[in-house]
Amino acid sequence: MIPIEAFLIFAAILFAIGAYGVLVKSNTIVVLMCIELMLNAANINFIVFSAFTTDVVGQVFVIMTITVAAAEVAVGIAILLNAYKTKGTIEADGLASMRW
Amino acid sequence: MFVEYTWLVPLIPLLCFVIVGFLGKKTPEGGGYIAITGAALSCVISALVAYEFFTSAAYHDPGFVTDQVVWFSLPGGYTLHFGYYIDSLACLMMLFASFISTLIFVYSKGYMHEQGVKKRRYYAEVSLFLTGMLGLAVSSNFMEMFVFWEIMGLCSYLLIGFWSFNHPEGDDAADNAASAAKKAFLVTRLGDVSLMAGLFVLLYTFGNLDYVGIFNPHALALADPNMIILASLLIFGGVIGKSAQFPLLDWLPDAMAGPTTVSALIHAATMVKAGVYLVARCYPLFTQDPAIMLFVALIGGITAFFAATMALNNMNIKRVLAYSTLSQLGYMFLALGAGGYLMALGFKNGDHHLVIAGAAGYTAGCLHMANHAFFKALLFLGSGSVIHAVGTEDMRLMGGLRKKMKITSAAMLLGSLSIAGFPFFSGFWSKELILETVMHAGDYGTEGYLFSILWVLGIVTAFMTAFYMFRMWYMTFGGKPRHASEHCHGESPASMTAPLLILSIFAVGFGFTILFGFDSLISIGADSTHNLVVGGGEAKGFEYFTDIFESIYTYVTVALVLIAISIAYVMYNKRAFDPAKFSGEGKSVLYTALTKRWWFPQLYNQIGWKLGYGVARGVDFVDRQIIDGTVNGLSAAVAGGGEILSKGQDGDVRSYTGVVIAGIVALFIVVLAIFWYMGGI
Repeated sequence: MIPIEAFLIFAAILFAIGAYGVLVKSNTIVVLMCIELMLNAANINFIVFSAFTTDVVGQVFVIMTITVAAAEVAVGIAILLNAYKTKGTIEADGLASMRW
Repeated sequence: MFVEYTWLVPLIPLLCFVIVGFLGKKTPEGGGYIAITGAALSCVISALVAYEFFTSAAYHDPGFVTDQVVWFSLPGGYTLHFGYYIDSLACLMMLFASFISTLIFVYSKGYMHEQGVKKRRYYAEVSLFLTGMLGLAVSSNFMEMFVFWEIMGLCSYLLIGFWSFNHPEGDDAADNAASAAKKAFLVTRLGDVSLMAGLFVLLYTFGNLDYVGIFNPHALALADPNMIILASLLIFGGVIGKSAQFPLLDWLPDAMAGPTTVSALIHAATMVKAGVYLVARCYPLFTQDPAIMLFVALIGGITAFFAATMALNNMNIKRVLAYSTLSQLGYMFLALGAGGYLMALGFKNGDHHLVIAGAAGYTAGCLHMANHAFFKALLFLGSGSVIHAVGTEDMRLMGGLRKKMKITSAAMLLGSLSIAGFPFFSGFWSKELILETVMHAGDYGTEGYLFSILWVLGIVTAFMTAFYMFRMWYMTFGGKPRHASEHCHGESPASMTAPLLILSIFAVGFGFTILFGFDSLISIGADSTHNLVVGGGEAKGFEYFTDIFESIYTYVTVALVLIAISIAYVMYNKRAFDPAKFSGEGKSVLYTALTKRWWFPQLYNQIGWKLGYGVARGVDFVDRQIIDGTVNGLSAAVAGGGEILSKGQDGDVRSYTGVVIAGIVALFIVVLAIFWYMGGI
């Protein structure tokens, strides 16, 4: 049987990759994708703990998270579409007008 | 049936104030007739009330009639009332205040004739002034009294500054009516604050401010004696301000900036008499301790002496009269203080004779107050008549007016004889009684010797009074006509001379009332319940006559008065020797001290500037530097902090994310550290 640590380390690596992508990538589409990665890292943790404790609540949470993530991506892409229409770019560096 | 309508007495002048104030321009003489009618009606109602009171059973027992309604209640069970309290003293005050005011208003018709539209303001204000005095006289409690007391303070300010627009030159109170009004208001205000503090102490000690509640032996016996002394001294502080006693005496001479009729009103009928009234009213309270009354007498004696010295070389006819008012008020306080001192000692030692002797001082003080009201009103109105005729107040420019103004000069002569204490004129009786009481007080108690000193001051003051009054009379009416007199256009109109004639009769004759029962009406004594009430005493009648003329001291005083009059005659009528030789051509130290009014104005200014300005500077510093500084500092810190923090908001999503992640990591590390420190998860 694969030990629980392996799953957790895998989720942590996945989360770190996502965080790294959010921090360094300037293309906001990629940033959105990286956010998805981080969410899924959290989902894996939910699933793992659910399986190891035989408690289904974790799996219920994962379904809810996927739903929310889908809505989030829809809203996010709509915002980017409008940003592209008004600013002509979706680079994070170019979308810095809402500052003091 | 009339006593129930006592409230009409102050209400009628108040109505006149409203009517004249709003409709004065549309009525003849700027509402003068309305004001005169109102004052006369008040006088008639006062007389009816007084008559009914003196013939009623209440006069003998309990000695007063009172009725009051609830005005408002305060948390803590304090209830303040509004009502009337009629006793002999209130009747006396009502009668002479309304009577003299009526005459002054009639006189004003002639004196203020040329004032045009300003007459409306004048008559409205004097009516309100009269309301204040009459309301004060009939008040049933200290709070109500204080309201009317303040109304008078306001009116004095308005009336002293009546001619403020005619004297724009100079900033000093001596030559600017507006500054004089301000000075009068502020100086009396100092006393009023003290009076108010006294009322707070009374309310705290007795739980109410009603005369019936405080002036009864049970309440006084239960109260803390120290609180009584404190309240008495604070109340007397208010009296010092209002009646212009030492050291708050300097506003009254400057108050001469107002019209002469207003001076007459302030000095004779209202305002300064309120202080004397209050001391007489508070006798049951003040006699709880001889020290309070000793203080009253000392202040009175010192004021009488100092004010008289300042009158000796003044060249302004009205100012001489102003100083004489101060001096005579000092006599009244001296009498009340000496009488109260004897009475307080009598209560302390259980000596009934001392209580009766003290009552004589009370009678003397009140008689002098009434006498003074008549002769001072007469003198001021007479001086107004002179000023009206010659157009100046400087006596050096007058002289020889005797032939041109026969009625005025005769009236002024009678007034001067009365105030000087010439035998059988009204001032003589009260002054002799006062000096007798002071002499008597000198024989009792450990501080009695002070009264002997005050007695000496008293007869010296009597000498000076006779001198400066006749100096004034001879400079104005005697000798040869000088510059201004030559342009005099003769006697004043009948509306001005008629009040002079009426007042002359009272100035000469009112003193005789002491032989016909004045002492029984206005005396003070313990009734069957040991309650100190005014009135209902035994009339000594003609015994006073023998009393006065059997005493050697009477002859001393009379001799001094006659010598003073002769000196004034020789110096200022005959001009046998030049007064300037005495004063070293006006350069000697004493002469300068007197013209500089013993440096009282400078003292006031120094205190006003050094203390007032210093305090103001300190307060300004606290306000600007500490309070404003704290507020401004806080706002600057917030604004500056925001400025710095806003730099972090650079608009770059990735740096925000970085901060969030760094925060999470930092939090994680902190939690781990805490777990490690606590010893495991």
